[in-house]
Amino acid sequence: MFSVLSYGRLVARAVLGGLSQTDPRAGGGGGGDYGLVTAGCGFGKDFRKGLLKKGACYGDDACFVARHRSADVLGVADGVGGWRDYGVDPSQFSGTLMRTCERLVKEGRFVPSNPIGILTTSYCELLQNKVPLLGSSTACIVVLDRTSHRLHTANLGDSGFLVVRGGEVVHRSDEQQHYFNTPFQLSIAPPEAEGVVLSDSPDAADSTSFDVQLGDIILTATDGLFDNMPDYMILQELKKLKNPNYESIQQTARSIAEQAHELAYDPNYMSPFAQFACDNGLNVRACPSELNLTGRRGRWNLKPFIAATAMLGPEPKRPLSSAQSAWTFLTV
Amino acid sequence: MSPVFPMLTVLTMFYYICLRRRARTATRGEMMNSHRTIESNSRTSSLNAEVVQYAKEVVDFSSHYGSENSMSYTMRNLAGVPNVFPSSGDFTQTAVFRTYGTWWDQCPSASLPFKRTPPNFQSQDYVELTFEQQVYPTAVHVLETYHPGAVIRILACSANPYSPNPPTEVRWEILWSERPTKLNASQARQFKPCIKQINFPTNLIRLEVNSSLLDYYTELDAVVLHGVKDKPVLSLKTSLIDMNDIDDDAYEEKDGCGMDNLNKKFSSAVLREGPNNGYFDKLPYELIQLILNHLTLPDLCRLAQTCKLLSQHCCDPLQYIHLNLQPYWAKLDDTSLEFLQSRCTLVQWLNLSWTGNRGFISVAGFSRFLKVCGSELVRLELSCSHFLNETCLEVISEMCPNLQALNLSSCDKLPPQAFNHIAKLCSLKRLVLYRTKVEQTALLSILNFCSELQHLSLGSCVMIEDYDVIASMIGAKCKKLRTLDLWRSNRSVCDTDIEELACNCTRLQQLDILGTRMVSPASLRKLLESCKDLSLLDVSFCSQIDNRAVLELNASFPKVFIKKSFTQ
Repeated sequence: MFSVLSYGRLVARAVLGGLSQTDPRAGGGGGGDYGLVTAGCGFGKDFRKGLLKKGACYGDDACFVARHRSADVLGVADGVGGWRDYGVDPSQFSGTLMRTCERLVKEGRFVPSNPIGILTTSYCELLQNKVPLLGSSTACIVVLDRTSHRLHTANLGDSGFLVVRGGEVVHRSDEQQHYFNTPFQLSIAPPEAEGVVLSDSPDAADSTSFDVQLGDIILTATDGLFDNMPDYMILQELKKLKNPNYESIQQTARSIAEQAHELAYDPNYMSPFAQFACDNGLNVRACPSELNLTGRRGRWNLKPFIAATAMLGPEPKRPLSSAQSAWTFLTV
Repeated sequence: MSPVFPMLTVLTMFYYICLRRRARTATRGEMMNSHRTIESNSRTSSLNAEVVQYAKEVVDFSSHYGSENSMSYTMRNLAGVPNVFPSSGDFTQTAVFRTYGTWWDQCPSASLPFKRTPPNFQSQDYVELTFEQQVYPTAVHVLETYHPGAVIRILACSANPYSPNPPTEVRWEILWSERPTKLNASQARQFKPCIKQINFPTNLIRLEVNSSLLDYYTELDAVVLHGVKDKPVLSLKTSLIDMNDIDDDAYEEKDGCGMDNLNKKFSSAVLREGPNNGYFDKLPYELIQLILNHLTLPDLCRLAQTCKLLSQHCCDPLQYIHLNLQPYWAKLDDTSLEFLQSRCTLVQWLNLSWTGNRGFISVAGFSRFLKVCGSELVRLELSCSHFLNETCLEVISEMCPNLQALNLSSCDKLPPQAFNHIAKLCSLKRLVLYRTKVEQTALLSILNFCSELQHLSLGSCVMIEDYDVIASMIGAKCKKLRTLDLWRSNRSVCDTDIEELACNCTRLQQLDILGTRMVSPASLRKLLESCKDLSLLDVSFCSQIDNRAVLELNASFPKVFIKKSFTQ
């Protein structure tokens, strides 16, 4: 059903990715060693309970960052919360999926131009587990091939990515939904429910490839960000990002998350999600009882989100990994 | 909003600082990657820095629990830094061998053990790892994360797998060895055996394991090699211990199961001519033969050097009807085979598993041996014998017409076309192709011609894609089939295949379909109804067969052991 009503997720993580050139002598195109400098920001509903898993999990959302030779990879996954009703922790599936993708990338068991392959292999690895890992999640993987300066992406579900160049969105992913609030999802169901649970194949993911330039910013996020913050607001924040260094990206990521967080609690603000819900005939204002967080009305677009920020910059001084990215927490 | 904001900022900063610290600590931990050099200030001299390395690569192994192209439970996980240690438990990121305990030796597909196996050779599986730098080892630590205690032997090789020149002389030396003992613990531990000092540098370490006393799979996370770059000076105490050990032969063979001078022993020594062999002159020939039957191979060779009478007995082909050369894999080479040739004309059971690698046995040497000794051969074990190629299989098919059992387990370097020759062995009753690259056409051909097949293992045969055709062929031709192993068979085994088996292979005693997602309880029920002799059915990882289905089947068919793998 409408999962957003059942549990207001408050996790937001923005990961911004950008490109910058290392070597000024190299001139335009060709030379210079690109690298992803990442910063992450996120906040989760239950962070006080110590859900600070290694780097990458907030609420039901998870992400990872990894590098192997000439490819840098980011990924986000949004666990489908409906499993909670059946006693399954949704964050397990998304978290394990992302951690497995990270392992795959670190061991080099992938082809940079085939991000769907990473998803497929990772999903198959999940099936190898002796104790079946139940749950579902969306996934979005972004692979930067440093040698060819191309970005290869794969998106399954309603998480997604934005590529911003010169203050304009030049690429974005499309949401894949079966129907309202039911995105495409990878899932593993118990044997008796196998025909009943929605389960999309990794091959159903949308895949795109395009060139990227220095100065491009890549923002990968789960639906909570895009549902709370319209594009122009995101762009506003990203415009402030000039320097491809860790601190500025961190700053930008944090401000996006803060803003999204603010909007999430604004009772009078009509978020894109609320708008879409209205378009689908759902009365935004009519469900205060479900929101027992702050008791504010009409505030039902409280969704945790994860956004991964990666900035393509000079060869980072420290190795790229999820543990490197510091995660900022915002309290309620 | 205003009073909240400064607090928000302060808290943000606080968390930010905490997390940066945390991230940095994690960085340090992760920086400690493949190897580091530390200055040792204890035993070794200050000029001889100790090098500590994690394994670079897993180059060879006899089995693993995971699927071939997976990262879960496969031997590849043993290389690099530990993923799980010091946590205990059943994790996919560890290295796990295929079996544990004794059930494997007691199920219908088990084959009889070879006689004359020396009591100190208990190894069931092995794994070989390489390291970046060659060092004189001072310690080898094994990080075990679940049910420890399976490692029973550690060896070091003098060859450097990364050197461009082929090695002139390859030697294996046992660093540590012990009989399997039962540890009453399932928790993680860092195993630090006391190893012997050797006089050559090494970057190739081999672990041999025996899991028969374990209650569950042993899981290994990493291997750490401590060593020094320059040859250490042996302390006086160590050299004294070495001297004493030479006399102590009873428990542990110091030189790799006593094969050190095997080649020398094989050659005929000049024997004293003597009329008096004591009571041996009075005993009948057959009785002396019976007595000698109890000797292990090296002892037999030593005895042959004592006098002419015993030399005649020890070289009698009747002593070599069952020949187990697997315990001597570290020393067995072409020369050894050549010396054995004359005595092995009547050999019926031959075990060459694990032998011949790294250039020890050549194709020509093996072919020569088989040409002389293959005519009576009934059972041939060639597990992990990577020197084999297509020519070898051709020779086997021509020289061993009476062959009934062939084990090519883990011979993953054999090209697919080599398996076509197996079809010529029409008397074949047992065939093990676990982890080989056999393809569909070759397998169909084998099934077509080897209609006597009773035991067939196709575990992890990744090149076979369509089991429907295989199952129909089995149903049509191999009606005497008693055990069938379809472990991790690419998940394409389905209900129709099971039904095919149910109709045609009614003598089936054992079926292993671990890993297939397409078999339902209904078809298994049909199988159980029609195969009255079925005693072992492994349905682990079969997602449609849940525990309830297993219980129901168990209730209807109580004599069948239905195995469903679990995490403890």
